[in-house]
Amino acid sequence: MLTTALIVLPIAGAFLLWLLPWATARAAGGLALLIALAELFLWVVALQRIDFASGGLQLATETVWFADLGVSYKVGLYDFSLWLVGLTALVTVAAVAYGMWAGRERPRAYFGLLLFLAGATVGVFTAQDLLLFYVFFEAMLIPLYVLIGVWGGVRRTAATLKFIVYTMAGSLLMLVSIIALGLANDTFDMTRLATSDNQWIFLGFLAAFAVKAPLFPFHGWLPDAYREAPSEVSALLSGVISKTAVYGVLRIVLPTFPEPVADWRTVVLALAAVGLVYASLLAFRAPDVRGVIAYSSLAQMCLIFLGLFAVNDSGLSGALLLSVVHGLVSASLFLLAGAVERRTGTGELGRLGGMARGRPILATFFITVGVIALAVPFSAAFAGEFLILNGVFVHGWGWAVAGAVAIVLAAMYVLRLVSAVLHQDPGPSVPAHALDLRPAEIGIVGALLAVLLALSFWPAGITDHAFGGEPAGKVTSLVERGR
Amino acid sequence: MAGPGIAAYLIVSVILFAIGAFGVLIRRSPLIVLLALEIMLNSGNLALLAFSRHAGNEDGQIFALAVMVVAASEAVVGLGLIVAMSRLRADLDVDKLTTLRG
Amino acid sequence: MDVAAWIALCSPAVAVGLIALAGERMPRRTAGLVAAGATLVSFAASVVCLVALAGRDAEDRSEVSTVWTWLSAGDLNVGLSVLVDPLSVFMMLVVSGVGFLILTYAIGYMAGDAEERRYHAYKALFVFSMLLLVQGGNLLMLLCGWGMVGLSSYLLINFWHARRSAVEAGKKAFIMNAFGDATFALALFILVQHTGSLDFDVVFARAPEALGESSALAILVALGLLGGAAAKSAQIPLHTWLPDAMEGPTPVSALIHAATMVTAGVYLIARTSPLFELAPSISDLAAILGGVTILVAGVIALVQTDIKRVIAYSTMSQIGYMFVAVGLGAYGAGMFHLMTHAFFKALLFMAAGVVIHALAGEQDIRRMGGLAHELPWTYRFFLIGALALAAIPPFAGFFSKDAILASAANSGGLGWTLWSFGAIGAFLTALYTFRLLFVVFRPPMSDFAREHLHKERFEGPLAMMWPVAVLAVLSVVGGFLQVPGLWHEVDDWLGPAAESIEEATGVTAWFSALAALGLALLGIGLAWRLYGRPSEAPARLRARRFTGWFAHAFEQKLWFDRLYDFLFYRPASRLASGLGRYVEKPLFLTTLTDLGASVRGLSGRVAAAQTGVVRGYALMLAIGLAVLTVVFLLVS
Repeated sequence: MLTTALIVLPIAGAFLLWLLPWATARAAGGLALLIALAELFLWVVALQRIDFASGGLQLATETVWFADLGVSYKVGLYDFSLWLVGLTALVTVAAVAYGMWAGRERPRAYFGLLLFLAGATVGVFTAQDLLLFYVFFEAMLIPLYVLIGVWGGVRRTAATLKFIVYTMAGSLLMLVSIIALGLANDTFDMTRLATSDNQWIFLGFLAAFAVKAPLFPFHGWLPDAYREAPSEVSALLSGVISKTAVYGVLRIVLPTFPEPVADWRTVVLALAAVGLVYASLLAFRAPDVRGVIAYSSLAQMCLIFLGLFAVNDSGLSGALLLSVVHGLVSASLFLLAGAVERRTGTGELGRLGGMARGRPILATFFITVGVIALAVPFSAAFAGEFLILNGVFVHGWGWAVAGAVAIVLAAMYVLRLVSAVLHQDPGPSVPAHALDLRPAEIGIVGALLAVLLALSFWPAGITDHAFGGEPAGKVTSLVERGR
Repeated sequence: MAGPGIAAYLIVSVILFAIGAFGVLIRRSPLIVLLALEIMLNSGNLALLAFSRHAGNEDGQIFALAVMVVAASEAVVGLGLIVAMSRLRADLDVDKLTTLRG
Repeated sequence: MDVAAWIALCSPAVAVGLIALAGERMPRRTAGLVAAGATLVSFAASVVCLVALAGRDAEDRSEVSTVWTWLSAGDLNVGLSVLVDPLSVFMMLVVSGVGFLILTYAIGYMAGDAEERRYHAYKALFVFSMLLLVQGGNLLMLLCGWGMVGLSSYLLINFWHARRSAVEAGKKAFIMNAFGDATFALALFILVQHTGSLDFDVVFARAPEALGESSALAILVALGLLGGAAAKSAQIPLHTWLPDAMEGPTPVSALIHAATMVTAGVYLIARTSPLFELAPSISDLAAILGGVTILVAGVIALVQTDIKRVIAYSTMSQIGYMFVAVGLGAYGAGMFHLMTHAFFKALLFMAAGVVIHALAGEQDIRRMGGLAHELPWTYRFFLIGALALAAIPPFAGFFSKDAILASAANSGGLGWTLWSFGAIGAFLTALYTFRLLFVVFRPPMSDFAREHLHKERFEGPLAMMWPVAVLAVLSVVGGFLQVPGLWHEVDDWLGPAAESIEEATGVTAWFSALAALGLALLGIGLAWRLYGRPSEAPARLRARRFTGWFAHAFEQKLWFDRLYDFLFYRPASRLASGLGRYVEKPLFLTTLTDLGASVRGLSGRVAAAQTGVVRGYALMLAIGLAVLTVVFLLVS
């Protein structure tokens, strides 16, 4: 029940917002915020009910949907998906609050779409039936298409179309794989799938997740989508939606296709390593704030894939930790970028500068989030990165060296971003009267930052409470899910 | 009943079919095309009747009746279209009526 | 004792939090007092730890205290822990003690700056990071402190971020340190894979069999650690960030780039000595790097005209001595020199800071002169620091440098080579130090100084002067902690953590000591000859001492900066721009739009088949029917 409530609450809230005529924008925003907070509260309840010692499916609900095909409505939480759901809830609250603060046109439609997106995403993280998973996976695209296409920047139509077509191409390949897998197993229930060594089915799934994350070289949609979407939508997109790919790999690909994963490991690791360095280099020379954040996001996702395909305790724990941390970091960065854009009207680094003068809070937040983004040792991002590189090291020292190069490059591009926005003389687009961060912005970004700092002091909060179960080790327990 | 064998009827049917097909392909006036179409349909009817007589049952004849109904309705629709086109002063030339194109 | 260790670590962190959260509500002076007070609390707690440890037997002096698991994955389990042992307590005392003095000094130095609170917060953050580094209970905690120290250094170097040079200097420092972090991390991956843990005692116990002696693995681990140490300690070839780091305020230079952060590399090698001992070739490499740095930095210091840069290169050179020591296995001597160097180098920087403060920010020594009359106490302090640096007895530097040279003399062929580097270095040290002293302080007073000198009732604010005085006293008496040949307090204390090699004794020791002293006195003499006489000093400074190319090379710092720019920065930048223009844009960003356009083109061409001519369709029908009939007939 609780899991279904987690999915249904935001979706119901969305319909409520759409169907009932509300008087003012404030009321619509307020209701949306209330629902998002209720979602977060439900998640906290789930957090307390989850038993981290056992590793199987928990808080599950199951009803039959298409009996003859073996499709059912089955949802439930694992200890690792719990954290991803929590990330969704938290970033949704931040996004809705920011949207309220920024003031969007047609607020009912806007907040309804945000809530619907949140509900669909939670659905992806909790679905335990392949077709249900696919339904939610595609359902995420509908609100995104409208959000980017209507409320986006100048080149929004092209950006959203490219994003949708890319993602759908991948998803359709996944659909073929789902059907093949479901028919082969005579059921679409994820917890009852037998392992398969069919490469093509594996590749179908991988295609969808490689586009969603994205993994180099399927990232063509990323820069435009992240640039043109409104800042809180970008925050959701890069922070949360990309993690559905991580979840897909963790839940479906790794347990079901152990042999193809091993066969294709070198290829995927190579793509991830190349993507990591490639994206870091592009971030170093990106001409605008959003570009830097977008390519940085690509680099982090490639790094997460490095960890996932290392398929060992260290790699998987690191991938999960970095997923959560990157979600928060990316969301904070995009919200701060939005704050800068609101004050200066541009994101181009050449026209910014000197914003630290007279705006200490903005400077502090920007630098703090920046150094966590570059994974300064002692930050939670560093903890995740360390585990990932440690995990992938056993497969060959070359991967870890690529990671080490990326560490230096990350320092370079983050410091360049920070300096270009905050330091030296005020740029041509920075008005002298631009204000420091307002209380609303401080509250929103500050909340995300507080969670990040807490995680930096206790990353084991996630790594110790994920992939639990049999003492045989986390990887084995992941593979032995729900059997 | 004696008479020419089924082969003769079928040959006549084929000749009629060919004449009709030729007419559809060659003639430019929609009215003549419809006429040729009717000839093709009737050749089909002839073949059906021949086979019916050859097989000894009435299935072919019943089917021929159905074909006649279809031919009649299609002729009505086609003639109606031609009347509408002539009312619009359109050129009654099949080669010139090409608005429905890719 | 554990509680004291945690208080020592957390008190500066609490200070940072307080200053950050209070923001504008906290008065500026209070922010400084909070930061300095927190450091004093750390120092007191460190003393408590010292006393507690001293009360125990020598074998029992190591304790790790963990609050919770920081990170865990499979077999790897890393705790948020602190280590209290002789080596860490030694460093804690130096860091918090000297740190307290410098933070107090900074209250006076930074008074009136627009962003004073931010400064003190950053300073407190640095002290916390450095304490985390030296107190870290396992290799990962050490690395965490390591990285945070780099971060604090970045924040402090580009404190005056309106200046482009400061911003660039901060970035350069951080990125070079990030390179060190990366090599450090790679070494840790090898250790995790082969020993399964990152706790000091577990790793050191399992390393000999897991890595093997002088095996490729051991060498890689030591090399990775050395890379981090060399980057952090600004040894050749990773030294180019240190001179630029002088863009930061002088107390920053004193604390970070003299007393503590740059010595972290020395601490690391001492702490991980069991690993370095498994790879003797890398230990020797560390010593050689140190030796080369002694010479190169010493010569470059001779031609510098910025008062802080001279002292910066001097720091580089002195850390070279420390690297020689720990590279050869004389950990006690190396750490002893670390301590005395912290005293007199901080003293020198702070005295220089008084001069800079009095001259309203001027740092070029060619504009200074004759300040001894106006700033007598500063002159005396500077003199004490210079004598200590030049290793003249009975000042502190003599005993510590002598210990290093004596150990080098006892280490065979390589040791003697490095001894000679050290001896020449002693000459150079004395020369450039007294060049600086004479040019800045001897009469006549330069015109610039005459116009711009301003001082309050005393030479500088009291908050600035008394810490300098304390350091001066320490520079005088600090050396007596370990007198080679007589008593070895430092060696004995550090023994359980890092066993030192034997020093030379007898004739060799006397020879070494006297030779070094002689060379130092020679250097002072030469400096007096060149720069001591009032009238000739400015002219001598302007004239090139060595002919053309040589001097130019050293003034350009041997073109290391240009080399690195050419080898690393420019290619990375060009590669990034190139990738953006030739790969990303055409390949990935426009692929889909191109695909869409080509599909539209294709469909346009295919649609041409729909001519709309009925007869054509009919013909196609007929042909198709004919083909099908033929096929049907053939098949059946």
